[in-house]
Amino acid sequence: MNITGWFKRHRDEELDEELQGHQRMAIDDRVDRGEAPDEAAAAARREFGNVGLVREVTRDTWGWGWLERLVRDVRYAFRGLLHNRVYALASIVTLALGIGANTAIFSILDSLLLRALPVRDPARLVLASWGQNTAFTYPLWDEIHRQTEGVGAFAAWSATRFDLARTGQTDMVDGLWVSGEFFDVLGVPAVFGRTVRDGDDRRGGGSDGPVAVISYAFWQRRYGGAVDVVGKTLTLNRVKSPFRIIGVTPPGFFGPVVGRHFDVAIPFGTEPLFAPRRSLLDQRVTWWVTIAARLGPGQTIASLTTAFRAIQPRVRAATLPEGEPSDGSSEYLRRPFSLKSAATGVSSLRARYERPLEVLMIIVVMVLLVACANVANLQLARGEARRHELSVRRALGASRFRLARQLLVESALLSTLGTALGLVVARWGSRLLVSQLSTSVSTAFLDLSFDWRLLGFAAVLSVTTAVLFGTIPALRAARTDANDALRDGRSLLGPGRRIVGHTLVVAQVGLSVGLVVAAGLFVRSFAALATLNLGFDTDRVLAVSVGGRPGTIAPGTLLAIFDRVRESAAAVPGVERASYAAIVPVTGGGSMLDLEVPGAPALSGDNRWVYVNFISPEWFATFGTPVLAGRDFTVRDRAGAPAVVIVNETLARRVFGNRSPLGAPIRVGEVQADIVGVVGDAVYSDLRTPVPPTVYIPIAQEVRQIHHDVSILVRSAHGSPAALTRGVVEAIAKVDPTLLLSVRTVRDQVDAALTRERLVAMLAAFFGVLALLLAAIGIFGVTAYAVHRRHAEIGLRMALGASQAGVVRLMLGRVLLLVGAGLLTGGAASFWASRLVKALLFGIEPRDPVTFAGAALVVAVVGLLAAAVPAWRASRIDPTTVMRSL
Amino acid sequence: MARKDRYQNRIELLQGTLDLLILQTLQWGPRHGYGITQAIKTRTADVLQVDTGSLYPALHRLERSRFIAAEWTVSPNNQRVRVYSLTSTGRQQLLSERSRWDRLSAAIAGVLAPHALEEEP
Repeated sequence: MNITGWFKRHRDEELDEELQGHQRMAIDDRVDRGEAPDEAAAAARREFGNVGLVREVTRDTWGWGWLERLVRDVRYAFRGLLHNRVYALASIVTLALGIGANTAIFSILDSLLLRALPVRDPARLVLASWGQNTAFTYPLWDEIHRQTEGVGAFAAWSATRFDLARTGQTDMVDGLWVSGEFFDVLGVPAVFGRTVRDGDDRRGGGSDGPVAVISYAFWQRRYGGAVDVVGKTLTLNRVKSPFRIIGVTPPGFFGPVVGRHFDVAIPFGTEPLFAPRRSLLDQRVTWWVTIAARLGPGQTIASLTTAFRAIQPRVRAATLPEGEPSDGSSEYLRRPFSLKSAATGVSSLRARYERPLEVLMIIVVMVLLVACANVANLQLARGEARRHELSVRRALGASRFRLARQLLVESALLSTLGTALGLVVARWGSRLLVSQLSTSVSTAFLDLSFDWRLLGFAAVLSVTTAVLFGTIPALRAARTDANDALRDGRSLLGPGRRIVGHTLVVAQVGLSVGLVVAAGLFVRSFAALATLNLGFDTDRVLAVSVGGRPGTIAPGTLLAIFDRVRESAAAVPGVERASYAAIVPVTGGGSMLDLEVPGAPALSGDNRWVYVNFISPEWFATFGTPVLAGRDFTVRDRAGAPAVVIVNETLARRVFGNRSPLGAPIRVGEVQADIVGVVGDAVYSDLRTPVPPTVYIPIAQEVRQIHHDVSILVRSAHGSPAALTRGVVEAIAKVDPTLLLSVRTVRDQVDAALTRERLVAMLAAFFGVLALLLAAIGIFGVTAYAVHRRHAEIGLRMALGASQAGVVRLMLGRVLLLVGAGLLTGGAASFWASRLVKALLFGIEPRDPVTFAGAALVVAVVGLLAAAVPAWRASRIDPTTVMRSL
Repeated sequence: MARKDRYQNRIELLQGTLDLLILQTLQWGPRHGYGITQAIKTRTADVLQVDTGSLYPALHRLERSRFIAAEWTVSPNNQRVRVYSLTSTGRQQLLSERSRWDRLSAAIAGVLAPHALEEEP
């Protein structure tokens, strides 16, 4: 016990001594006056009154009566829980799962959607966009930067990845291109050295040469926090000129993109060092720059937007891409610039996971409700078992309020313990979840540290659950009649029916139906996506991205090198064939060009744009995409030969209808060519949308389109292509040891593209099973209790000739009724609510009858199984034993 | 509960008066709880009997307000007793309580003897 406890006990003893002294003196006085000792004692006691009461009212004046009573209640509750360990453990674990799941999902929601960026005054940050789009080209940024001088503080960035290795295997870290004023506008100082300034953001590097700012985490990880890090150099993407580290950002700053973190930030101006021939800084159709601004004093989003739009015509005119009509008809010129609040940063992760997280949040709240119903049911059952105790206490003078308070304290204790354990579950669970968000392509990073909002959420959950599951038992306890104690506990008919308990079971079944329906919909969506016919083989192909070091390979020799790489890869044992292409499907990369068919009516608006890929011969065979008409490219389709293209089925159908497209001339971008083949539709980048019209161009005829890298695609003769990795890498390294390689199977790539659906399906299934389990426990408990309650009645029935099967039917009938009611309400509610998840489904309707029927069947079967054991036990009651005990 | 309520009501009823009586009694020297009841009983010729259920809460409350101080001593017949004595703030409290009581009793006396007021002018 603690010091206050000891102190209080000490005072209690003193008070006792004082009061005893009082009585002794009174007796002594009476004896002195001549009374007989025993009479004197009795008279003094009479005069004194109720010692216990005097002690209690005196102690009340000490002012800690309430606290003391609370401590007493808590200790009593603790002892009660220790005596009923199974009950306590079941309740606490149930609550911990419910609260933990809620806190875990909320912590992700919190850090992804709610938490402000770790920068100075994030509420004043705004993000630039045009239409729905937040990506700009560098020439646009350059122009905006120039034109907004004096208008507002604008900054730009772009997320990327850098390879830090000087030679050999790549060593990728997360990088950031930043404009000169990026750190100033965001208000992020350096904890060491300095950040990038305007003077550093010059083409090819500023006065200090190419510079880099590193993040605190990277500093700790890579340099062990060494203070002499400033001045050290980094090699990025094997560019010859090294980048000098000039500073380290503060520990909390993970970058401007929520869901990612950065290791190295370098000025945009150094980009030409990476691609001297074709710098991204000059590309007017490459959308890769994000622009933000900080509102100045007195500036509002509206006023800055007005100023921003005022410069739009000049900015647009100065950066118009080639081929765009300048007459004002182009989307490029028309869509207005706008600004929106960027207090919580930007995030592609957010865009992808906002809706799933909201749905998951609803799901976990439902799980928590099921858990609460379960604990309430457990408490009710325990309350029945405690009836005798409670009524004895009533008979001994405890007030109704006192009993209710005692039970509420017990509930609060349970929910507090459940929350404590739940926080542990949440911490573990949310980390696990975020690690699941990371794919082999990009690393997800979320700041999941507990903040006041999260702890507040957990506290609110704790109190709410305690109220939810604790109120009904407490009210019941308050209704306990003192006379009950005088009667024998078990009468023939037992205490009244448990309407509350039954309602709870109906609610549990209803919620479980909803959760199982959700699980069914998401799992079937995922299954539909995972088994989707992509138009190519996913399991046989290995993609090796092969890059040349900038400046080391003469542009003219690139194709020859890639051809040699392809040949050597094809010669590796176990490789069926190999090819290469500019773009690998489903990687998210892509290229769009406008299409024109001479002689045909001009294609309108968005129909004009088609996806293109630049491929080598045998690419279709490597991927298993069928050539439906005409021919594949051959080695003869090289530069100088007649220009040819292959189109996919969708394009052929859409543009040529029933006519054969073979031999038809088309223009795609700057390419004028004849169609020589039609291939089956194959997914280009997004699995969820229909296959877009696609044009395949021989890479040999468009060498200009190759920057420094292509992807070599290797088809295994049989089995998983991952086993070929070593052989293929060695073969390629023999061709040119300076090449940069990164290997991935196409299956991994497709899996990465399905992360969201897989995760939602997994979680929904997990929570569905959890809810089923909890509901099963609830039904089991209610039935077992009913058997217990009707023990005498069942014995009597059997004595009068009821069969065992009849008893089972009797017990199951009631459960069936409850489960049926739950199925109806839950089914109706889910039928209404399922439209909320429509956007997350693929290949299945939100009101899919099979899913609903299946969910109902599963819940019904689980419910009956849970009830079957106690019902069977009821049929084993021995009538003679019962009759004797009556 | 019900019986406890009755005691509490009486404490409230007697509160001001009982406090005054206790302070007044302690003015002549430290006393223990039993001593205080005896003193009040004797002085009022058995008219006022102080209930222990009111006395001890009052004593402990006065102690908490620092109007009186408590100390364990050994009585002449060798018993450990808790003895209360008046503090300096307690003395001031007694003065103000007394003057309030005097005003109150004068006012009540005035109400009870209306002719005394009528004679004055």
